[in-house]
Amino acid sequence: MKILYIILNVLKFLFIITLVSIAIVPFLWVFINSFKSNSQILSSVAGFPDGLVIKNYWNAFKLAPFVIFYRNSVIVTVISTCLNVFILSMSAYVLARYRFKFNNALVLLFSVGLVIPGAALLQPLYKTLIATSLYNTLTGLIITYAAFGIPITLYIMMSYFKTIPESLEEAAYIDGASFLRTYFQIILPLSKPALATAAVLQFLLCWNEFQFALTLTKDVSKRTLPIALYYFKSAFASDYGAMFSAVILVTIPSIIFFIIMQKQVISGLVAGAIKS
Amino acid sequence: MQNNKVWIGIFLLPTFLLFCFIYLIPLVLLFATSFCEWTIGSDIIFSGLENFKQLFFHDDSLKIVLSNTAVWILLQSTIHIAIGVALGLILSRKRWYTDIVRTIYIIPNIISSAAIGILFLCILNPQFGMVNNIIRRFRPDFMHNWFNNPSTSFYTMTSTWLFYAAIVTILVMAELTAIPKDLYEAATIDGASRIQIARFIELPLLKNIIGTTTILAATSMLQKLDIIIMTTKGGPGVSTMNMPMYIYKTALVDNNYGLSNALGVLLILMGLAIVWLINLIYGMNKK
Repeated sequence: MKILYIILNVLKFLFIITLVSIAIVPFLWVFINSFKSNSQILSSVAGFPDGLVIKNYWNAFKLAPFVIFYRNSVIVTVISTCLNVFILSMSAYVLARYRFKFNNALVLLFSVGLVIPGAALLQPLYKTLIATSLYNTLTGLIITYAAFGIPITLYIMMSYFKTIPESLEEAAYIDGASFLRTYFQIILPLSKPALATAAVLQFLLCWNEFQFALTLTKDVSKRTLPIALYYFKSAFASDYGAMFSAVILVTIPSIIFFIIMQKQVISGLVAGAIKS
Repeated sequence: MQNNKVWIGIFLLPTFLLFCFIYLIPLVLLFATSFCEWTIGSDIIFSGLENFKQLFFHDDSLKIVLSNTAVWILLQSTIHIAIGVALGLILSRKRWYTDIVRTIYIIPNIISSAAIGILFLCILNPQFGMVNNIIRRFRPDFMHNWFNNPSTSFYTMTSTWLFYAAIVTILVMAELTAIPKDLYEAATIDGASRIQIARFIELPLLKNIIGTTTILAATSMLQKLDIIIMTTKGGPGVSTMNMPMYIYKTALVDNNYGLSNALGVLLILMGLAIVWLINLIYGMNKK
């Protein structure tokens, strides 16, 4: 029994160590290599670089317009997240609080996004944006991403609003507060935790999105950060050092963001998944 | 309260417009043009079921694409889920390493999957990649192109997502915190071992969340485009082609919009079928 217990424990740790290594070693390897020169990378000596060479990062910035990619990603992510959370929390509020004819039908309709794989919409959306001259604009991406977040934000906000006691609003109405004032001055400030959760998820969705960023824009001046990697892969595939640093430049913001907002990300993932 | 009706309308309108613009109009376009002949520069001409006939009777690639997608769905809803659940059960007992393991393990799930694609291209590079370097320690003249060799391309691609089950782990851990403590105490008093607790108490209570994560994992296989575009573009041949990549190729490389939209309709139907099937297997509709 004792031996069985020890074997199980060893197996358990092996399992954990394997999974952790699979998750982090590729990343660490690329990180270390991003400081090596091209010849050092190709001579395939494992191990550490000779001193800290940040030349690769400098090259990455020279080869690809990273400043533009960063700027675009920030603009698209921030505006799209605000837009999504602002209008979705309004809709979630009335859908959670008021009973009216099309209440359930609307919730169902807005959840449609959950069962539509993005790839199915690639071409129709591309044509729709061309027809409305939003193709190849940041506005087009902002609107698209805001819509992709509809089901998750709606679900997170609705379930939170349902936990706020209705007596709160009744008291506000008796005091003569209008509908608008009740919502913006009483309900919304109370909902900060849920707003943060929804915003964090929407933020990650926008920041990492690749396939629509690729198909709905065409000029370098309109592209976002994940596309930078595509750009590197096709155009500068021989400068490996610069490519490694590009990977780090693209992923570091998400990782830092996650470490700071870990609590919200995790509660968001949990809330976001239960909806199905 | 009467004027609240106006406010309800105003509060719903922006979401409704956004939904119509990004989902409803493209969906109508998708379904309508899947029955039409439509290529670049051509008019849209109604052609009935021509596109679907073409796909099912004259398209040999589609058979491979569908079987690739099906195998990936199967692997993801079994092995991927098993890994995630096992880790969730292990980490649910708080130890010093719990938080750090969870934080590191989730990293591949929160960075852009385009970056995962490049990351794998780098470590699997035939000349300087980490994997071949390690193998060369033992077999000095080893040379293998993992992504471009048809014998390994499919499983190489699989490995870029199969082991990253952090979402499953997190959901399982969240669900386990909801199990009442006295259940554990009662089991321990009755002399149940750790394994027995997992087998007879935790797993049955996790049934719903496992069903949910299976749906998420399976349907995520209908969305995988970024990693494939970054690495193989579906090749060599069609060995790593899945439905999204095939749609992308048909629509934006071959510019056959009618056909790609027929594929899109097929993809949506597959998604609905999977959700229905998994619900049936896990008996989740009987709440």
